Amino acid sequence: MNQLAVPVRLEQIVKRFGTVTAVEAVSLELPAGQLVTLLGPSGCGKTTILRMVAGLERPSEGKIFFGSDDVTQLPAYLRDVTMMFQSYALFPHMNVFENIAYGLRVTKRPLEEIRERVAGVVAQVGLQNLEQRAVQALSGGQQQRVALARALIMQPRVLLFDEPLSNLDAKLRKRVREEIRELQQKFGITSLYVTHDQEEAMAISDLVVVMKAGIIEQQGAPRELYQAPNTRFVADFIGRANFLSGQYHGSSATIGSYSFPFSQNIEQGNVTVMIRPESLRVATDGIGLEGTMHSVAFLGTTTEYTVNTATGQLEGVMAGDAPLLAKPGETVRVQFATEGVYLIKT
Amino acid sequence: MVNALPSTSAFASRTSRALLPSVLIAVGILLLPFVRPDRAFEFFNWELGAFSKVSWLAGLLVFSSLALSVLSALRLPMLARGYALIGISSGTAITVFAWLASTGSYFGYGALVALICLLLVLGVGLSETGLIQSDPFIASSIVLCSVFVALFIAYPLFIVLRESIIVNGVFTLKKVQETLSSPLFMVLENKFTPRSETTIVFGIAFVGGLLALIFSLRRRASIQLLLGSTLAGLVLGFIIGAGVFGRGAFATSLYLALIVAPTTVFFGLIFAILEQRCRAAWVRRILSIVGILPMITPPFVLAFALENWFGAQGLITNRVFGIDTNYFKGVTGVGIAQIMAFTPIAYLTLRGSVQGLNPALEEAAQTMRSNPWMVFTRVTLPLLRPGLAAAFLLTIIESLADFSNPILLGGDRSFLATEVYLALTGRYDPNEASVYGAVLLVLVLIILGLQRAWLGNTSFVTVTGKPGSGNFSLLPRWLENTLQGILAFWGILVAMLYGSVFYGSFVKIWGVNGEFTLQHYIDFSGTGLEVLFRTAQVAFVAAIAATLLGFLIAYLVTRQSFFGRSALETTSMLSFATPGTVMGVAYVISFNVGPWLLTGTFIILVIALVFRNMPASIRSVMAGLSQIDKALDEASTLLRAPSSTTLAKVLVPLLIPQLLSGIVFAFVRSMTAISQIIFLISPGNLLATVLMLSWLEQGNLGRAAAMSTVMILGLLGLILLLFAFSKRFSRNGTGLEGIG
Repeated sequence: MNQLAVPVRLEQIVKRFGTVTAVEAVSLELPAGQLVTLLGPSGCGKTTILRMVAGLERPSEGKIFFGSDDVTQLPAYLRDVTMMFQSYALFPHMNVFENIAYGLRVTKRPLEEIRERVAGVVAQVGLQNLEQRAVQALSGGQQQRVALARALIMQPRVLLFDEPLSNLDAKLRKRVREEIRELQQKFGITSLYVTHDQEEAMAISDLVVVMKAGIIEQQGAPRELYQAPNTRFVADFIGRANFLSGQYHGSSATIGSYSFPFSQNIEQGNVTVMIRPESLRVATDGIGLEGTMHSVAFLGTTTEYTVNTATGQLEGVMAGDAPLLAKPGETVRVQFATEGVYLIKT
Repeated sequence: MVNALPSTSAFASRTSRALLPSVLIAVGILLLPFVRPDRAFEFFNWELGAFSKVSWLAGLLVFSSLALSVLSALRLPMLARGYALIGISSGTAITVFAWLASTGSYFGYGALVALICLLLVLGVGLSETGLIQSDPFIASSIVLCSVFVALFIAYPLFIVLRESIIVNGVFTLKKVQETLSSPLFMVLENKFTPRSETTIVFGIAFVGGLLALIFSLRRRASIQLLLGSTLAGLVLGFIIGAGVFGRGAFATSLYLALIVAPTTVFFGLIFAILEQRCRAAWVRRILSIVGILPMITPPFVLAFALENWFGAQGLITNRVFGIDTNYFKGVTGVGIAQIMAFTPIAYLTLRGSVQGLNPALEEAAQTMRSNPWMVFTRVTLPLLRPGLAAAFLLTIIESLADFSNPILLGGDRSFLATEVYLALTGRYDPNEASVYGAVLLVLVLIILGLQRAWLGNTSFVTVTGKPGSGNFSLLPRWLENTLQGILAFWGILVAMLYGSVFYGSFVKIWGVNGEFTLQHYIDFSGTGLEVLFRTAQVAFVAAIAATLLGFLIAYLVTRQSFFGRSALETTSMLSFATPGTVMGVAYVISFNVGPWLLTGTFIILVIALVFRNMPASIRSVMAGLSQIDKALDEASTLLRAPSSTTLAKVLVPLLIPQLLSGIVFAFVRSMTAISQIIFLISPGNLLATVLMLSWLEQGNLGRAAAMSTVMILGLLGLILLLFAFSKRFSRNGTGLEGIG
C-alpha cells in the first residue's frame, strides 16, 4: 500500500447555500488507501461533500482532516487532492501530453522528471503513442484515461471521482470502472467516489455510504448494505426490493396468514418485511403466502414475474428461462429464502 | 508507486505573497514624488518627495512597509498574520488618504504606488484570514477592481446627484426648481400664438389615455394592466403633445426618442429577418457592412452629410427642388440622423433573437393551417418580443444620450444631452449641468427598471441562442421584394452619405466648387495628423486597459463568489447605461479638486475611455466564459495551479479571440468617442473628434471630411484585419458574434 495514503475524516460537516441546507452534520471516515462511494439520488448532497473535500467549497460548519492535518481552511490548490470530473475537464488547447503534465509543470518539476513520470503513467493507463494527439481527437474512453492519468500523476493524498462514468455507454462503463478499481488498488490512494448508480457503487467500493437529503442513511460494505439495509430507502436504492407489512414474534415472522421461521435482532411487533426478488420461491401448492401469478416476462438472462397477494404485489426474478413457472392467473404459494429477507422498523 | 516526491506539505506556515507589494511601498515613497504642485505629473523631483514634504507620514509609510515586509517574509501562521496585514495596510492607507484630503494635496506617483500596494497587501491579508475565501491574487484583484469601480463609476455619479441639490455647500432645491421650470427644460405655452398650447397638450394626453383605456378594455385586460396602460397612454400622449407644440430639452428629447426608437426597431427587424430568410446573397453582404459602419463612423459625419444633402443649402432640397427652408434643423434632422445611426444597432441586437428562433415552431404552426401572415403575427412576433423590447429600450437610451447629432442639427430646439454640455461650458453653471445630468440619469434608470420588470433579468446587449433544427420558410416573393427594396433604398442613402464625405474631402468647397484638390489633406496633415496619432495612442492604451480590467471583472463575477459580487457587476454595467455627457460632467466635477485632481491631464482621458468601454469587454468575456466549462478551472486548481496560473494557462488562451476583438472594438469606440471626452479635453490634450467638431464649427468642412475619410478607412481596415485573423484563429466558430 502507498506510504502516503492518509485516512480522511469529516467531522460534523454542515453546508448551507443561502437558506438551503445541502449537507446536515455529516461525519464520515475514509480509511487510508480505500475507495469509498457516496451513493444517493441527485440533490442528496453527495457532490457537495466531494467538493468540500476537494476544497472547491468551504463547509459552513465542521472540520475536515487529512490524517492529523486540519485542512478545513486550506485552499483547493494546496490540498494535494485531484479529481476526475464528469465532463473530464480536459484542457482543449493542450494535447494529451500537455494535459497529463499540466500539474507537474505548474508545480515546476524538472523537465526530466516530468517526461519520466508522464511516460510511466501513460503506460499504466494504456495511452502509449497518443501523447501528441489533440484531446478532441480521442474517443470518449481515451479521454477518460487521459483524465485519470492527469489525476494519478500528481500522486495525490486523496483522489476524487465525480460521476466519471456517466458520459460513457453501458459496455464501456463496465470496462472503465474495472480499470479504475484496479489502478486505485495498485496505487493505494484514498479515494472518494460519487455516483447515483448503485451497481457501479457496489462493483467498485470498499465502503458504500448511502445519502438522502443531506444526511447519511447508512454506510457499510456493499454486501452488508444489500443484506441488512437499515431503512426502506436504502433497501430500495441498493438493488430491488419488495416491501410487505408484517409482524415479528422473536423467532418467526408473519405476512398476512403466512408465518415462517426467522430471527433477527429487532423489536417484536409490526415491521416492514423486505424481500429481494431473487429470494422468492414459487410453487403451485404447499405452504407459503397465497397469491395469483400476475405476469411473467422472459428477458433472456433472467425471467421476471409478479405475484398478487392479499398484502400487496411481489416482484420476483429467476435466472434464465423458467418453463416450469406458473402461468398468469394461476393460484400460487410463495416462500422466501431467508438470506433475501430483512426486517425494517415500521 | 512508492517513490513519491517529497511531499510539498501545505500545512507549515508559509511566507506571504504580500512581500513584493510591501517592499514596493517603500520604493515608491523613497524614489517618486509624493505629491504634485499642480496638474502635471512628474517622475523625478526630490523636492516633492514624501520626506521633504511630510516627514512623519513618510516615516510611517516606510515603517509600515518594513513591518509588512518582515511579516510577509517570515513563516508565520496564516490567520494571525492575515489580520496583522489587514490592520497595518488599511490603517496606513486611511492615514495617507486622510492627509491628502485634509491638506488638499494632489496625489503624485509616489502616493499612487503606495496606495495601490497597500490595497494589494490588504487583499492578501483578506485572503490569508479567509475573509475572502480565495487565493491572494483573487482577493487582491477583488479589492483593486472594487476600488477602481467605486472611484471611477459610483463616486462621480454620486457627485452629480449631490451637486444638483447642494449648491456652494448648502442643501437647496432651488437649483432643481429653477432648472426644471426654465423654458430651456420645458415650456408648453407659446405667448406669441393666440391658441393655448397647454390645453392642446393636455387634450392630446387625455386622448392618448382614453385610447389606451379603450384598447385594453377590448382586450379584457386585468385591472393593473388597465391602469398601467392608461397611465402609459397618458404619458405617451403628453410627450407627443409637448414635443409637437411645446419646447424645451425634456419634451424634445423624449419626443425624439419616441419617434426614433420604433422606427429604428422596425428597420432593424426588417434587416434581421432579411438576413435570415432572404434568397439573395447581396443582401447579406450589404448587411454585414451595415453592421460595422456605425461603429467606425466618427461622430458628426452622418449629421453633417445629411445636412449637406437635405439641409437649408442641401444638394437635394435646394439645388434640385429649390426649397430654402430651415425645417431640417431641429427634431426632423436629428431624428433622421439618429435613425440612420441607430438602426444598425437595433439590427445587431435583433439579429441574435431572430437567429435564436426555433424553425420547428413555425413549421408546427404551418401544419396547423396558419397562413404565412398568421404565422408571423401569432408565432414569430410574440417569440421576438423580448428582443424587440430590448432593442426598443436600447435605442431610447441611445437617442437620449446622443450628443453629436443634436449639437449639429438641433437648431433652435434644446436637448437634454447637449444641455448638460451647454450648461457647463456655455453658462458655466456646474449645478445646472448636474441637474440636467441627474434628470437624464434618472430617465435612463427608469427605462432600465422598466426593462427589468418587463423582461426579467435577460441581458439587453446580447440575446443569443442556439439555432434549432428545421428550416425557415422563405418569405413570400412580394414581401421579400418589398423588404429588399427598403434595404436597397437604405443602402443607396448610406452610400450617398459616405460618398459625399469622401467627395467633400477632395473638392475645393463642398457643394460650391467641385474642383479636385488635395489641399484639405495637406491642411489636415498639419495639426490633424498629430492629433489623430495622439488619439490613437490614448485609444490604444485605453483599449488594452479596458479589456484587461473587463476580463478580470468578468472573471471575478462569473467564476468567484465573494461578498459584494453583484454590486461590483451592477456598478460596472452602470457606466454602460449612463449617457456619455452625464459621465463627462460627472468626471469634470469629481476630479477637478482635492486629492483626485485629474482634469486637464492625459490620464483622465484614458480613465474615462477605459471605464466607458469596459462594460462591453465584460459582456463579451462573460459570453466567452459561459462557454467554458467551470470544471476546467477546477481541474486546474486541483492540479495545484493558483488562480493566476489558471487564468494565464487555461482561460486566457481559450479566450484569445474574445480578448483580441475586445481590444479592437474598444480601440475603435475610443477613437470615435465624443460625448464624455468633450468635457475632459484640455489644450495640450486635444482628441480627433473634438478637433473635428471645432473644424466643422469654423467652417473647415473639407478638412473635417478629410479627417473623417482617413478615420473611416483606417478603422475599417483594422476591423477587416481582425475578422480575417479571427476567422483563422477561431477554434469552434464562436468568433465575433454579438460583440458589436
